[in-house]
Amino acid sequence: MNVEQILQLPSMPAASPSYPMGPYRFIDREFMIVTYETDPDLLRQAVPEPLEPNPDNQVLYEWIRMPDSSGFGDYTESGVVIPCQLNREPINYTAQMYLDDEPPISAGREIWGFPKKYAHPKLEVRSDTLTGTLEYAGQLVAMGTMAYKHRSAPGGVEAQAKGMTRTSCNLKIIPDVDGSPKICQLVGYNLTDITVKGVWLSPARLHLIPHVNAPAADLPIKRILGGKHFISDLTLPHGRVLFDYLKDA
Amino acid sequence: MNKKDVIALPSMPLQSPTYPRGPYRFFNRQYLVIGYKTDESAIRAHLPEPLEPVGDMVSVQWLDLPDGEGFGAYSATAQIIPCAFKGEQCSFVCQMYVDNTPPLAGGREIWGYPMKFGKSLLKVEGDTLTGTLHYADQQIAVGSMVYKHDAFRKDYSKEHELLRRTQITLKLIPDIDGRPAIAQLVGINFADVNIKGAWSGAARLELVPAVNCPLADLPVKKVIGGLQLVTDMTLPYGRVLHDYLGR
Repeated sequence: MNVEQILQLPSMPAASPSYPMGPYRFIDREFMIVTYETDPDLLRQAVPEPLEPNPDNQVLYEWIRMPDSSGFGDYTESGVVIPCQLNREPINYTAQMYLDDEPPISAGREIWGFPKKYAHPKLEVRSDTLTGTLEYAGQLVAMGTMAYKHRSAPGGVEAQAKGMTRTSCNLKIIPDVDGSPKICQLVGYNLTDITVKGVWLSPARLHLIPHVNAPAADLPIKRILGGKHFISDLTLPHGRVLFDYLKDA
Repeated sequence: MNKKDVIALPSMPLQSPTYPRGPYRFFNRQYLVIGYKTDESAIRAHLPEPLEPVGDMVSVQWLDLPDGEGFGAYSATAQIIPCAFKGEQCSFVCQMYVDNTPPLAGGREIWGYPMKFGKSLLKVEGDTLTGTLHYADQQIAVGSMVYKHDAFRKDYSKEHELLRRTQITLKLIPDIDGRPAIAQLVGINFADVNIKGAWSGAARLELVPAVNCPLADLPVKKVIGGLQLVTDMTLPYGRVLHDYLGR
């Protein structure tokens, strides 16, 4: 294998790259998002500067079913997103993510810095209940329930699609081979080509169980604000550096 | 979290870093190494320049890692190609499969170990030391070896030489725009290696073609033999041997 071939590789291993070059297209991507209010001090600790957590102390706990994802396959994800501000602009910060498929774990961490770990999330309709669960290392750490399609969201699919264009960001950390930080950045990206096929608001509940390696419960639930369920097609493109801790800090 | 604390984090995510800082000590790290002859042109195709082939031998290895500091208990399967770098005999780690996030993410992000998620198992079944690997629910590899046929051996010098060899990985990390941010050959040397037992003997190996777990791309022409090892050893940080981006 020569140098030109090596520099063309999208990812490790050279013998069969984990993920191809992006962007990545998702079809019928189904979300259940339970919004809740948490403790302001704990929220502040979970958010890296220069991001500012939202003043209402809201946290989004999400389950996402991804049955058809180019380059990645069929998998499910669950995790914590914190609405924030950067330079007074709204931005969503992904704090924790758990999923059951290696290419999106490796690509997620290595390209955009998604804070992904391997675990077993599930999102399914069980009788009258849209049900999300997350198992980490054999233990249940999150369980969300939502009433099934009780009412369409105001603004419908157009408003939802517009909301999904909001910038999201991650804290990307990649060590150097000697353990010192090689990449330490806030990375931003925007979903594109979004088609929302349906969006519903319904009552929801969320149960988070303390676990050291999947610490969603470190942002405790003070009050549940509601549940949102939607299905969409969308594209995840590459992103951009918003803040470089090794240069700008 | 303030910016200074962010830079001090060992890994993502901020709230529960996937892996702590190294080095990483492994206790009772057990190997089944099956050496075999393969196709020389396949070796050439798999080795990144400037690594040079040194023959037609490669190996598939099973590792049982019941006690890895920072990582926990897990299993791995690896495919190793002996090679030369600037005249030194080294081991190129070509493919590797593990069933645990911290070594998977840490392996890729620190050293560039070519790890994917696969279900590896190394255990004694009746009279047979047996290694299996499942990827995406299919059995891709089975290795079998006789159990401790050459007991009472005390000279482990060959095994020490094998474990002392520099391991080489091809570390590739993309930048946020998809272009390469890191493209390096990384050298790794295990430290404080204590061999608690070593046995060699007859072995067999079956590799099944699979696109995302292509061990069989280095086909088995002739199995040479098996080696069982029980060790304690430390995985330290590595060093850059070659930088493809010229940095």
